Amino acid sequence: MRELRESGSLNRIDWIKKVAMTGLMLLPAMAPAEMKSLSETELSEVDGAGIGLVLEDFKFAHGTDVENGQVFKIGGIKNSQGEDVEIVVNKLYISGAGSNYGQDLSPVNLGRLVNPYSIDVIDGNDIGVPETAVMEFAAPKMVDASVGYDCMSSSASAGSGTCSSRPASAELPQGERPDIGLQLNLKVGSQESANINIHAQSAVIDGSYLRLWGDNDRHQMVGQFKLNFYTPELSINACDKDTAVCGSRISMKDFALELALGNALQPMYFDVNGSGNFLVEVAAIPKPQAGSVGADGLRASSDAGTWDYYEDYYTNPEYRSNITVGNLSVGDRDFGSSRIQGMLIQHLKIQTKDLAQ
Amino acid sequence: MRHFIPGVALSVAVLFGGALSSLPAAAEMNRLDDGDLSDISGQGGIYLSGDISINADGGPIQNTYFGSCSDADKRCGARIAYRLKQDGGWMVLDDIRGKFAFEGLTLRVRTIDSGFGGDGALFNQDVLEIGLPNVVRYDSVQFKLATSSTARPTDPGFQQTDIFSVEMQGDVVLEGNLLVFPTGNP
Repeated sequence: MRELRESGSLNRIDWIKKVAMTGLMLLPAMAPAEMKSLSETELSEVDGAGIGLVLEDFKFAHGTDVENGQVFKIGGIKNSQGEDVEIVVNKLYISGAGSNYGQDLSPVNLGRLVNPYSIDVIDGNDIGVPETAVMEFAAPKMVDASVGYDCMSSSASAGSGTCSSRPASAELPQGERPDIGLQLNLKVGSQESANINIHAQSAVIDGSYLRLWGDNDRHQMVGQFKLNFYTPELSINACDKDTAVCGSRISMKDFALELALGNALQPMYFDVNGSGNFLVEVAAIPKPQAGSVGADGLRASSDAGTWDYYEDYYTNPEYRSNITVGNLSVGDRDFGSSRIQGMLIQHLKIQTKDLAQ
Repeated sequence: MRHFIPGVALSVAVLFGGALSSLPAAAEMNRLDDGDLSDISGQGGIYLSGDISINADGGPIQNTYFGSCSDADKRCGARIAYRLKQDGGWMVLDDIRGKFAFEGLTLRVRTIDSGFGGDGALFNQDVLEIGLPNVVRYDSVQFKLATSSTARPTDPGFQQTDIFSVEMQGDVVLEGNLLVFPTGNP
């Protein structure tokens, strides 16, 4: 009994000590500013904060100008005859819109403070990859058409489309849609090709992302890649290397590419195989849970879960790739518009091969 | 992992803004009172000039694969190998070498509450601003992207396919500010 009382009083002393110490530890924090605890509602609004990136007044240019000590080369590639192929990048630029095919470089903003480029770890449950943390690198997200800007028009105003990046305007002279261009020539063995120029004006990549995660069953890195690329003019032409006389310009007006490689059901797998070759695979769709679709193909006569599964797979626009060209012209000849729409990749396997072996 | 990189020689010259400027000799210094001090927010920032060289003359490892840059049969750059699948092959960044130099990379905290075509006022937050150095000088910078059957070139059964190599030399124009900030709604 006495022992119990003693141990009880000891516990009390301990407890008082602890309270006093906690109080002392809190004192300095309380002195300069009062901290308030967050309510449940406030806490529920906090989500995993990622990193937002915006490039302000950005300008990038590099190229090859051997006389001035500038070199930018991509090499080490061989053609099927075993000859060396060298790509000499004469010019690569990212500039503000209105650069006149890279002649007048000006600064541009990339990303918006309210909708930036982001690096984030997202909850797989939200994107159909259950119980997995997914690393995401994303361009500015698409927004509601009531507040967004038309993806093509370089004079779009608010409420005209779903793109977030704004074209240059009096209010924002540098704009958020860069001109991007590349001039290169190919050297195969000792033969040099003409200079090939590729220019995209006022380009937008809103809604693009790369998501990476690990597959527990295959013990492998998997991913999902969405590339949206919109430009009012994508042009390609070739110029003679020595005389700088250029051929006809192939120009694609209102070019839109919406490429979806991999989705939640068929992610993209990356691998290097045992003989050292790179392998990219979009796996075939897994078999859904047991269940059947009725002979009339309607939901009422089918197992609801199975029917929904196929319905989503065949109708979800997120899984589809599109390419549209408003007008294709070569020189002064117009070939009109063309489009490839609703392309669904059901299985894809790409493997590099070493020609030397 | 250490052995995949034959050696990285790194030297960065860092100048902190104002730290090296000499103080005026004759001026009298007054103490700031609490009121004045409370008006001061984090100003300043950091000004960096850098000169980074990676294996410009070759790394310290000498064996059948790595060696001096003057030996055409050997590779003298750094090597990083990583795997995408359990028991799979390796992606390799090989023969990484060269020198980069830049002057005037700035780091500071900036409050944005205006500009950006109306986004600034909506944003109204602090960002970390990295001022890009306008020009980055590349001197014989190169690397190769390759795939390999083993992590190290000295491992048995080593087989490697070089996919492509990149070579850069000269001044690269890199202007603007990179603004970094947390997203979400904390």
